[in-house]
Amino acid sequence: MAKKIGVYVCECGANIADNVDIDKVLAEVSSLSNVEVVEKHKLLCSEAGKAFLKESIQEHGLTNVVVAACSPKQHELTFMNVCEQAGLNPYLLQLANIREQCAWVTPDKEEATEKALRATKAAISRVRYHAPLEKKEVECNPDVLVIGGGIAGIKAAQLLAGPHRKVYLVEKTASLGGKVNEFEKLFPNMDSAAAAISQEIQKLLQAENVEVLTESEVTEILGFLGNFEVKVHKKAEDQEMGLDVGAIVLAIGFALLDPGSLSQYGYGKFDDVYTSLEFERMNASGEILLKNGKQPGSVAIIHCVGREEKGYCSRVCCLHSLKFARYLKSRISGVKVSQFYSDLCIPGKSHQKFYEETKELGVDFIRVQNTEVAENGKGMVIKYETEAGLKGSLEADMVVLSSAIEPSSDTSKFAEMLNIPLSESGFFSEEHEKLAPISTPAEGIFIVGCAQGPQSVADSVVQSEAAAGKILSTLVPGKKLELEAKTSEISDAFCTGCQTCISVCPYGAITFDEAKRISVVNEVLCHGCGNCVAACPSGAASLKHFTFTQLYQELEEALR
Amino acid sequence: MSVGSEINNKGQKPPVLVIGAGISGIEASLLLANAGRKVYLVEKSSYTGGNVIKWEEVYPNMDCATCMVAPKQQDMLANENIELLTLSEVESIQGTPGDYTVKVRKRARYVSMVECIGCSACFDPCPVEVDNDFESGMTKRKAIYIPCAGALPNVPAIDTENCLRFTKGESCELCKEACMFEAIEYDQQDEELELKVGAVVVATGFDTFDLTKVPQYGYRKFENVYSALELERLRATNGPTTGELVLRNGQPPKSAAIIHCVGRVEKGYCSSVCCMYSLKHAHYLQDKVPGVKIYQIYSDLCIPGKSYQRFYEKVKEHGVDFIRGNVLEVSEQGKGLTIKYKTEDGKENTIAVDMLILAPAIEPRADSSEVAKIFNIAQGDGGFFDERELEPAPAGAPREGIFIAGCAQGPKDIQESVAEAEAMVGKILSLSK
Repeated sequence: MAKKIGVYVCECGANIADNVDIDKVLAEVSSLSNVEVVEKHKLLCSEAGKAFLKESIQEHGLTNVVVAACSPKQHELTFMNVCEQAGLNPYLLQLANIREQCAWVTPDKEEATEKALRATKAAISRVRYHAPLEKKEVECNPDVLVIGGGIAGIKAAQLLAGPHRKVYLVEKTASLGGKVNEFEKLFPNMDSAAAAISQEIQKLLQAENVEVLTESEVTEILGFLGNFEVKVHKKAEDQEMGLDVGAIVLAIGFALLDPGSLSQYGYGKFDDVYTSLEFERMNASGEILLKNGKQPGSVAIIHCVGREEKGYCSRVCCLHSLKFARYLKSRISGVKVSQFYSDLCIPGKSHQKFYEETKELGVDFIRVQNTEVAENGKGMVIKYETEAGLKGSLEADMVVLSSAIEPSSDTSKFAEMLNIPLSESGFFSEEHEKLAPISTPAEGIFIVGCAQGPQSVADSVVQSEAAAGKILSTLVPGKKLELEAKTSEISDAFCTGCQTCISVCPYGAITFDEAKRISVVNEVLCHGCGNCVAACPSGAASLKHFTFTQLYQELEEALR
Repeated sequence: MSVGSEINNKGQKPPVLVIGAGISGIEASLLLANAGRKVYLVEKSSYTGGNVIKWEEVYPNMDCATCMVAPKQQDMLANENIELLTLSEVESIQGTPGDYTVKVRKRARYVSMVECIGCSACFDPCPVEVDNDFESGMTKRKAIYIPCAGALPNVPAIDTENCLRFTKGESCELCKEACMFEAIEYDQQDEELELKVGAVVVATGFDTFDLTKVPQYGYRKFENVYSALELERLRATNGPTTGELVLRNGQPPKSAAIIHCVGRVEKGYCSSVCCMYSLKHAHYLQDKVPGVKIYQIYSDLCIPGKSYQRFYEKVKEHGVDFIRGNVLEVSEQGKGLTIKYKTEDGKENTIAVDMLILAPAIEPRADSSEVAKIFNIAQGDGGFFDERELEPAPAGAPREGIFIAGCAQGPKDIQESVAEAEAMVGKILSLSK
């Protein structure tokens, strides 16, 4: 069937008409082959304009439409909808931007007209090769897998579980609660951590449709948003279990940098040098005692242990170091507490008050460039250097090292399994650092709590709730997922199986078919970014609506 | 009625009211709308995008801020489930979670949101010129205006406090005559809307500390002392100097100092984001003014999290002097500025610069007490809205179905604001799952 192309130029009041000779554009394009109708209109986006366009498309039985008007950002969707209402596939439309790119920026009317003419001709040339596209829909599973039974995982599971959504919470260890179990109190309100975590665990266990799998590990995840297939190894029973879920929340927590690798702190060398977590546990056990069974008379808390090595600030160490001072002051009367720090990082509305109240208890703050824990007769001494280069030393019975927070040891396993990139610091990378902080480039997979980066309990909870928000918004029970129509496709015939495309796909949307030895695009995951098309050395990959033919035809005319 | 019964008595999932169309409010609205909920997005000003659209780039990746937010704004404007009410403020709320009645006063824009295409033809003929608040008064605008190029929705509003028709009763119709689309509607009236909603997200954002309260820094006294926000507008490609970092005389500075923590002592908290954006400002200067000498005067560097220290190191490598100290006084010597400061060991010192940038504390919005009163929200530390439900709300009080997001809750960066907005959506949607 011969193409019938309609060309519609919008005057946009005087916005285009004043600076582009629209009649000249119309006259020149009307003689192009297959151009069935050329019309101008005062304002195509107005109700009258849209009605006119719809009627004209139907009247002339058009197969393709070019609208020469404003930026596609402004009204592409408007005119796509008009096409659809007129019974024409909306992807058979092409916009030529003759307002922002011609009338408004090219002062000379003759030049602006020439530019508008080329843009319109280029659009006509391109639109001939447009193919109708359909937005597909897929069924999705609303159930969710939460990996990690710490506070972040627990909170996410609580919000997500409901009558129409099952949540599986997989925890590696035998119990829920994660690291918070080891804390006595939470800064800055010094609420009981045990009370808080047991209450949350209780709420979780009472929630409808939650299945908690402790002593279990995820061994395989296949699939994509809405349709993941998961294998879980139940260690106690040595059993494998299969789960189908629509989304996954990674709440795998953190590890602490081992200060044994940093010899200056004397960890492992002296009896009474502890990591922050060891100190938390000791305090939670009810007593703070030296190895010799006596109470310490003086305690040094050293901040930023491993910061230089890791290359980032662990965000919570200043605050938990202040909390440790509180523990000490409340348990041991007259204990001397010294904080060795470089910069006090206590962001937010409540934390400075916490610092000031702690300081008032009689805690010394010593700003240092570096510290070293050395032997001093039977005890220890902290040798330090101030920023001004002055040297000093202070005796201490006990040393607490506020070590850097590191990614959990499972991070690389899941990064590989799920194809999620890692940030320079080794934590999972978010989809967008500002706008999509708990999403990942792998759709349907969310990173919360310290899996995302070092953070406090309160911030971890917010992130868990955020993951719940994203999932509840996306996977609505009974609702299908609408897919991007402009996806890439890889030709079976041309693909050489080099897998270059797989390495450049940021969404993990391409897999390798081992049997056929070719790459295959998963339409559910493809965002249509075009990376694979640019990278494919054999021309096998192409992007719907941005095919080589479409682009060449457009460029050829624009540059003629 | 418990919060759990967020589904109203007709068995429907009721609409949600979101207050504030900044990044938090937009994110919350989009997620709620995507879940099929009707959203009323109430915004006090005539435009959306809040504070983020005032910035040229965001740390640490130096993404273009408006390019980053504009697609979200466009999605929000195009979303059929979201009803944006600009120039609007909530006056009262009554009812219980799942079943609130909210009264909103919607001021007239006097320009039709349907007819206007945003061509700007009405600006030129307007005879009134006033300081543009959006640009901290560094440029003028007309009485019919949009705050900056690229503002969304791209429809101007008539400022009735300055328009000759509204202030002096004159019969001026110059904007109407210039409009090709009959979009100017002088007879629009303010409206009183009554909305039925099930939950409320309060995302009203922040203000910055009034720098004239600390006269020792010389703000508004010496012409080349800028607030951080003013520097952002100078750097903005759609701002008063189209992105050039120049002094009031149009010349680029040879040296600049950035003072952190201005107002911290007065406010009693660390504003979380100033160290990072001050580093970003050093980056702006390095980028736009080759060879400029840059000082940062700070007390403690607060650059928490996995990626910020790398940004600090990069900026430092390109040549920034970091001075730990307390500023005592700023004075003007000829055309330059002298900053007297005291280091931690008690020594006094001075530096001379052409340009001074002050990083003001983030504080609750000026009208937050009224908002708190309307919604029965507690104001906690620093006067920010308290997210903690410390005591059970009195019977019938609206507090339970009210959720706080973004800087209304406390100073935080975009990442945390977005996460918090998503979190509040999580809470709301989980009530009716």
